[in-house]
Formats: sequence, C-alpha cells, structure tokens
Amino acid sequence: MDFLAPFIEVLTPDNMKFLLEGFWVTLKVAAISIVLSFIIGGLIGILRYAKIPVVSQLLAVVVETIRNLPLLLIIFFTYFALPEVGIDMEIITAAIVALTIFESAMLSEIIRSGLNSIHKGQIEAGRSSGLNYIQTLRYIVMPQALRRMVPPLVSQFISLLKDTSLAVVIALPDLLHNAQILYAQNGSNVIPIFIIVALMYFIVNYALSLIAKRLELKQA
Amino acid sequence: MISFDKVNKFYGDFQVLKDINLTINKGEVVVVIGPSGSGKSTLLRCINHLEKITDGTLNVNGLSVADKKTDINKLRRNIGMVFQHFYLYPHKTVLENIMLAPRKVLGQSEKEAKELAMYYLDKVGISDKADAFPSQLSGGQQQRVAIARGLVMKPEIMLFDEPTSALDPEMIGEVLDVMKALAKEGMTMVVVTHEMGFAKEVADRIVFMDEGQILEEAVPAEFYENPREERARMFLSRILNH
Ligand SMILES: Nc1ncnc2c1ncn2[C@@H]1O[C@H](COP(=O)(O)OP(=O)(O)OP(=O)(O)O)[C@@H](O)[C@H]1O
Ligand SMILES: [Mg+2]
Repeated sequence: MDFLAPFIEVLTPDNMKFLLEGFWVTLKVAAISIVLSFIIGGLIGILRYAKIPVVSQLLAVVVETIRNLPLLLIIFFTYFALPEVGIDMEIITAAIVALTIFESAMLSEIIRSGLNSIHKGQIEAGRSSGLNYIQTLRYIVMPQALRRMVPPLVSQFISLLKDTSLAVVIALPDLLHNAQILYAQNGSNVIPIFIIVALMYFIVNYALSLIAKRLELKQA
Repeated sequence: MISFDKVNKFYGDFQVLKDINLTINKGEVVVVIGPSGSGKSTLLRCINHLEKITDGTLNVNGLSVADKKTDINKLRRNIGMVFQHFYLYPHKTVLENIMLAPRKVLGQSEKEAKELAMYYLDKVGISDKADAFPSQLSGGQQQRVAIARGLVMKPEIMLFDEPTSALDPEMIGEVLDVMKALAKEGMTMVVVTHEMGFAKEVADRIVFMDEGQILEEAVPAEFYENPREERARMFLSRILNH
C-alpha cells in the first residue's frame, strides 16, 4: 500500500532507536519532575492548608506568582538566567528544575483544594476524640482528600508529560527534539514522524488516564 | 465535673454566650433547649474546646479549658462528642471508625481495640455491621456507630448536639434508646435536643437558652408543666404545636 510506504521508509531501526532515546529522555524528565513536584507541591499544599501564620501567606505569594508565569519563561530562566548568578546546570537538570518549580505550584493548589474539600465536621470528630492535629490530617483528612485528588492529579501529570516538550527551546534531547532532527534531514518524512511521535505521547498519556479511571472506579 | 463561671463568648462583635453560669455534676444528665441561634451548640462545643471562650472560667474534670497549660487532647479523651450529622469517617469501616482513637490516642493494640470496639458495637445493637462502610448504613445506624465511637474511649462525659435532628422519624427511637440506657448507667451527659420524651424520662435538669443566655434551669416536670420564663413558655408552645 502506498499509504504505508513513507512509514516503512522512516521506520528504520536507527531512526526508531533515535526516537525512543528521545522518548526515554521525555519520560525520565517527566517522571523525576512528577516525583519531586508531588513531594514539594504536597508539602506546600499542606502548609498552606494548615494556615501557619506568615509561612502560609509567603507560600501563597510564591505559588500565585509561579502559576501566573508561562512555563516557557521559567525554562528560559533556569537555563539562561541562573548561570548569571553562578547556578549552572546541565540541560536535563535545568529542564527538571524548571518543570518541578512550575508543577510544584500547580500540584500544591490541587492538594490544597483537595484538603479544603473535606468537611470541617470530619476534623472536629477526629479532634474531639483526642487525636491531635497531625493525626487528624494523617488518618482522616488526607486519605479522603487523596481519593478526590486522583483525577486532577493525573491530568496534571499528563500535562507535565506533554509540557516536557517545551524544553526543546533549551535543546533538551527529548522526543520532540529528536523528531525535529530526523525530519530536518529529510523533509518528506515530516508527516510520518509526527504521527509516530503523536502515537508515543498518546499511548503513555492514555494509559495514565485509564489508570486514573480505574482508581476512580475503585473508590466509588 | 463541668462548671461555667461567668463565661462569655464573642464572634467578633457578636456575643454568642452571655454570662453563663452552669454547674453539671458527675452522673447528671442535662438537656439544653432553646430557639435556633440561641447558643446551644456553642455552649456544648466550649466544653471540649472546639470553641474558645472569650472570658470567664470553664472547668472540666478539674482542668481549666482555656488555660494554655491544659493538655487539650488529654482532656478530650475524657469527653465523647456526638454530632447532628454523625461525621463518621467515610473511608473507614464501622470497626475502623471506632478503633481509630483507641489505637492512635490510647495506643491500644489491634486486638485490644477490636475487642473493645465489638463490645460497644454490641451495646449499641449493630455488631453485625462491623465491616460495613458508613455509607451502607441508615442514619439511625450511623448515629449509633458515632455513639459507640465516643464510648469506646471510656469517657466520663458525653456531649450530644441534636443527635436525632437529622434522622427520619422512624429512626429517632433507636438512637434515643441507646442514650437512655447510657443515662441510666450513670454517664454524665449534656444533650442538646428538643425530644421531650427523652428529657422527661432521663434528664435531671433542663437548661433553657435564649439569645446567648441561660434563662431558666429546672427539673423536667416543672419546666415542661410550668415554665417560669415567658420566653420559655412561648418556645414550648411553638415546639409543641408544630
Ligand atoms: N463561627 C461563627 N462565626 C460567627 N457567628 C457564629 C459562628 N458560629 C455560630 N455563630 C452564631 O452564633 C449564634 C449561636 O450559634 P449556635 O450554633 O450555638 O446556636 P444553636 O442554639 O446551636 O442553634 P441551632 O438550634 O440552629 O443549632 C448564631 O447566631 C450563629 O449564627
Ligand atoms: Mg446547634
């Protein structure tokens, strides 16, 4: 079939290997950023939820600032501006740092509003039984909030995976970056390459959303 | 056991509790009634420090509730609280709901906590629901679980804030029966409720509140037959005629 011909031409072992290497970088950067920003965002979300004087307000300012900046700006900033003040990072580190900064702010909001969605009566029931504040958070508020947070968290993880591609601007050798190199060599390959790249993103992201659905069903 | 001495409480400029003086002795059952917004819940919630008093003295079990040195968590172990809307933990089974505080606050072993939880579930008549989740229970059953959750800490005081107001009429009886049994065993109880039958049967005293003040304190027979205060009379005629 004529339709398949361009794909067969592009799908050489070398090209596939090159694309998969890029995809591996994408996945690695996304996974590390997800773990880091979940920890940092979780911490920020909890601290803001707990309304600790000064700390909570300060974090609110930081989070709101970051959330209102384009991710691209943060990526440029970590890679091009930070070296000016002596913080020099490899491309991959800079990408992870930038994504982590941005996603921590986004995730902290999801986590904070998840915690806020738990009825105050739940806390009062816990506290009046003699549990302290931390125990009440840990055994009563968080488990309930976490279940509600699964869908927005996963959709944020999916956008993080997609946003990793923005790091092509600092030449992160990710999937999109390697794809560009390939079609730059032979312009007629551009459509099949884009389709293959799209499939790779789609499969992983769709799998993530299926897992999220599973988790949602399980708790329902 | 509980004593309010010239207690005031404000929310901003609004005074919810006005010069409250009230003593509740060990083993007494006190029913608090009054119109909506009169401060009944606030009064109750001050006892276990869910609300802070603004001034005056409030002693519970010999400890000053407002005193910074008082270990509030320790004080609360000794006070069970039952809410209008139950507030069972929806992510935990009935048994886990009851075992949480004994495990985490008292440090009981799994086995010990489970035995005790089963004992109290049996006492409130729903041991067959031990492994159910709260959402699978009727309102009356949920409230009985909430009572067992309070009792399992072996408190000296139980507080009830309109425990039957959110229930369908046919379930009110089963909850009141549990509370009556508790009262007859000598539990110190403070109960916000408009259930007159309950009050007449087990209350030692009725406290009538209006606009943040205690207007009248009397034994039930006297209060319901012949309230001294005009506002109490008006309030009673309203709840009786509706
Ligand atoms: N957190 C709060 N901030 C401001 N005002 C409050 C707060 N909680 C309660 N109030 C007010 O205090 C008054 C007393 O409230 P409370 O809940 O103690 O009344 P209540 O007698 O229990 O009424 P109800 O029968 O409706 O439960 C009400 O006017 C209420 O609006
Ligand atoms: Mg009330």
